[in-house]
Amino acid sequence: MIEVRNLSKYYGNLCAVNGISFSIKEGEIVGFLGPNGAGKTTTIRILTCFQPATTGSASVAGHDVFTESMAVRAQVGYLPESVPLYQEMRVREYLRFRGKIHGLERTARERAIQRVAERCWITDVINRPIGQLSKGYRQRVGLADSLLHNPRVLILDEPTIGLDPTQIRATRTLIRELAQDHTVLLSSHILPEVEATCKRIIIINQGRIVASGTPTELRQRITGDSELIAEFKGSTEEIAAGLQKLDGVSRVETTMRDGWTRVTVTTQKDVREEIYKLSIEKGWPMRELRRDVATLEDFFVKIVAGARDMDTASVGAGDKR
Amino acid sequence: MRNTTAIMQRELLSLFFSPIGYIVIAGFLLITGVIVLVTESFGPGKPATLRSVFDFTPYVLTIIIPAISMRTISEEYRSGTIETLTTAPVSDMQFVVGKYLAALIFYAIMLSGTLVYLVLMMRFGNPDVGASLAAYFGLLLLGVSFTAFGVFTSSLTHNQIVAWMLGMVPLMLFVWFAASIVGKIEGVPRQLFQQVNILRHLDQFNRGLVSTEGVVFFAATAVLFLFLAVKVVESRRWR
Ligand SMILES: Nc1ncnc2c1ncn2[C@@H]1O[C@H](COP(=O)(O)OP(=O)(O)O)[C@@H](O)[C@H]1O
Ligand SMILES: [Mg+2]
Repeated sequence: MIEVRNLSKYYGNLCAVNGISFSIKEGEIVGFLGPNGAGKTTTIRILTCFQPATTGSASVAGHDVFTESMAVRAQVGYLPESVPLYQEMRVREYLRFRGKIHGLERTARERAIQRVAERCWITDVINRPIGQLSKGYRQRVGLADSLLHNPRVLILDEPTIGLDPTQIRATRTLIRELAQDHTVLLSSHILPEVEATCKRIIIINQGRIVASGTPTELRQRITGDSELIAEFKGSTEEIAAGLQKLDGVSRVETTMRDGWTRVTVTTQKDVREEIYKLSIEKGWPMRELRRDVATLEDFFVKIVAGARDMDTASVGAGDKR
Repeated sequence: MRNTTAIMQRELLSLFFSPIGYIVIAGFLLITGVIVLVTESFGPGKPATLRSVFDFTPYVLTIIIPAISMRTISEEYRSGTIETLTTAPVSDMQFVVGKYLAALIFYAIMLSGTLVYLVLMMRFGNPDVGASLAAYFGLLLLGVSFTAFGVFTSSLTHNQIVAWMLGMVPLMLFVWFAASIVGKIEGVPRQLFQQVNILRHLDQFNRGLVSTEGVVFFAATAVLFLFLAVKVVESRRWR
């Protein structure tokens, strides 16, 4: 549904997007994740025909964004990052206008307005001037607008930015629902956001794709070095020495906590069973044993930090094929 | 066509709901009213004619028309709505023409306010209605051309006031100082300048003549500046 090939965009000498490639299949919901300035908006603006790419190509719904721009625009519902709206118009007037330029006839238009207003919970403000609406309502009016012509592809640039926690949760639920009928590309700089809504994540940093995959796949990549935490009663030196001997353990750190020895074990393997057996064998009472599962957040931070001071290409496999 | 109409309607709505719309209309009617008073057009023993109004109005319009058109495109840039508009299936041409038609219709409505003077004059005397209508047609054509120029300057910036200045200053130079410039130059430059001399074209209409040359001049400049505006809107995508 979305195909991107070696896409680059330069603003003067600044390279905002640097030869990225990815593809999104029909019905997928994909998160486009990256810190501020990574190049998400730039990529999205190329996909929605707002700006041309410097080099490379992209197609949406089988149409090239540059040569068949009108066909692409008819298939795409787009919510820009800044949610631009005409302040002086009433919500219904605005949606009517948008329906007209999407080629909807009167009855179809009124029906579509009804449908999106209910879907995005804006029926209670439908006759209010947009300029008087809160940020949350404006965001929903923008979303309603992008759904009006029932597009095959929805492209949402940071759809929950500036919303309060309740609104964020409601918007995420709505986006997940929308993903049942539309192919969705959603950008965000907040990981939990894409983790909560998307089946697949593409991580972009400094204009390059540094990793991509399902949240589970991405998580597996970091479990290479995980941490185990345990607390025993016994001689600290003996405990440290005993754990150090276990297979796969690279580092053991100990601290004392009200008479208990707390150890943090860095390991390549999950050695919880061995630790349990050891404690029985040595007769150390144990009150805690758990694996500190690395979160995707850690991974994201690591990737972004890593990409900043080493060669980006070596950090993650990306979407190269 | 439907897209052009939709954009035109939306722009008209914004023009009529913005304070600028009312200020412009009130200002224009006030100034033309003052012209009627100070030239004593209704005085006893004077010929029943609106000639003085038609002679002065072009000077006023160099300021007023850019004020009508200044927000058309620049406001879309400033508010960012250009992004939702140009990612919808609307061509740049439909966009520019829709904006242009809205500003032109607004101008025509404003101009029709001065018909009051014509009606009053018909009650007091016996004005040459045919000549007056030709003069109105001339002012309408002037609007066709000036509005296109104003839409073009509006496409150059995201700041309405800058768009106004960019539109007003060249128009003022052309209209206010045309006569003295023509008097100071000779030969080929003079002939060239006479071709683009707005007041000369307008004068024919004021004398009750609908000249083809005038119609072609105003229509051609309108097409030229609308074409340039489309090119500017297109080119902004490349940045
Ligand atoms: N119109 C523009 N002109 C110049 N530089 C720009 C423009 N838009 C974005 N940039 C730059 O391109 C880079 C990527 O920006 P952007 O795509 O907006 O990132 P993101 O959406 O991921 O935060 C940034 O360094 C930004 O400053
Ligand atoms: Mg962005």
